[in-house]
Amino acid sequence: MESSKDLGDEELVTLCQQGQGHYFDVLVRRYMEKAFHIAYDFTRNKETAKDLSQDAFLRAYANIKRFDGRSSFYTWFYRIVVNLCLDHARRSGRVFWESLDKTPEEPGGQRQLVDTQHQPDQEAIAGEASRRANATLESMPNKQRTAFLLRNQEGLPIADIAKVMKTTEGTVRVYLHRAVATLRQSLVEFV
Amino acid sequence: MENRIKPLEDACKNYEEDLVLYHYAEIGASERAAIEQHLAQCLRCRNFVEDLGRVLPQMAPKPELPQAFWDNYFRETVAKLDDQAARQNWWQRWLAPMNSWLVPTFGTVAIAVFAIALMLQKGDFNVTSETASAQIPAEVLVDSNQLEFFKSMEILESLSTLEEQDSAKPERKTSYIENGPVQVVA
Repeated sequence: MESSKDLGDEELVTLCQQGQGHYFDVLVRRYMEKAFHIAYDFTRNKETAKDLSQDAFLRAYANIKRFDGRSSFYTWFYRIVVNLCLDHARRSGRVFWESLDKTPEEPGGQRQLVDTQHQPDQEAIAGEASRRANATLESMPNKQRTAFLLRNQEGLPIADIAKVMKTTEGTVRVYLHRAVATLRQSLVEFV
Repeated sequence: MENRIKPLEDACKNYEEDLVLYHYAEIGASERAAIEQHLAQCLRCRNFVEDLGRVLPQMAPKPELPQAFWDNYFRETVAKLDDQAARQNWWQRWLAPMNSWLVPTFGTVAIAVFAIALMLQKGDFNVTSETASAQIPAEVLVDSNQLEFFKSMEILESLSTLEEQDSAKPERKTSYIENGPVQVVA
């Protein structure tokens, strides 16, 4: 018998739409890390990222009957996550910054740009580069930032980013290029 | 220490966008071949691609979180989903008996409100109150000067009555003819 973990996204969604809501737990397990990381990319704050990504699951579940299958579940769901993050940034008026230099609360946590084997001065340079990069990302137009984060951080193909952002692939390419050019300029000293 | 601070070279302008896509492996096979051919000849573009490869993967690193975090995350999310479903069910239960008549009732009330609003707008029910002065015709309105005028009119009427009474007696009338008053005896 096929385990629920082996079911595809669309099958799980169909089961949820038929009233078997517990199948949504499989989707949570499957996408929780991605959702959290997208929210973390936008907010740079662990608690906020957790709240926003969990909220995205709640909204997805509440609206599961509206999902018509024209796009894949994950592009539909990522769109919810991104919208919540952008809305949060708009409401808070800033993007939270969680210092990379802060000691991680969790064992094994490594938030350095470079690994800890590097020399202290190299770490300082990396830390400064990271801070500047994040400051540049914060000030970037939302669409450029979204395209960059989804491609660079989450590794989404441009075709999927276009679906998440409901735009064309050509437009995403332009956003991505502009974002990279801006970031590269801001990191001119660290390259 | 390695010299990490150096001036940044730009790529060839007409290749820059494609080089970004090349870095992300988002380019077709034929375009890829053309770019690689260009890269073989252009040091600036090679440096550009090298810079992207060094900097972009290090951007905004993700926190590495332990399994305990994810277990807790999953439990919390499922609990929130259950809670949301329970709340949704409560509303559904509450609204269920009303489902049969809620929509028709709401529709009827909406139509009634619309009809009343329409009638009021057409003026069938003129609820706007005019001031007392606006309802009185202008000619009826008199000011204090006009009142004085009417009083003097009364006096004149009285005078003519008196004159009529005295009409039987000889009367002296004064006529003004060119060089002064001339007394005329009637």
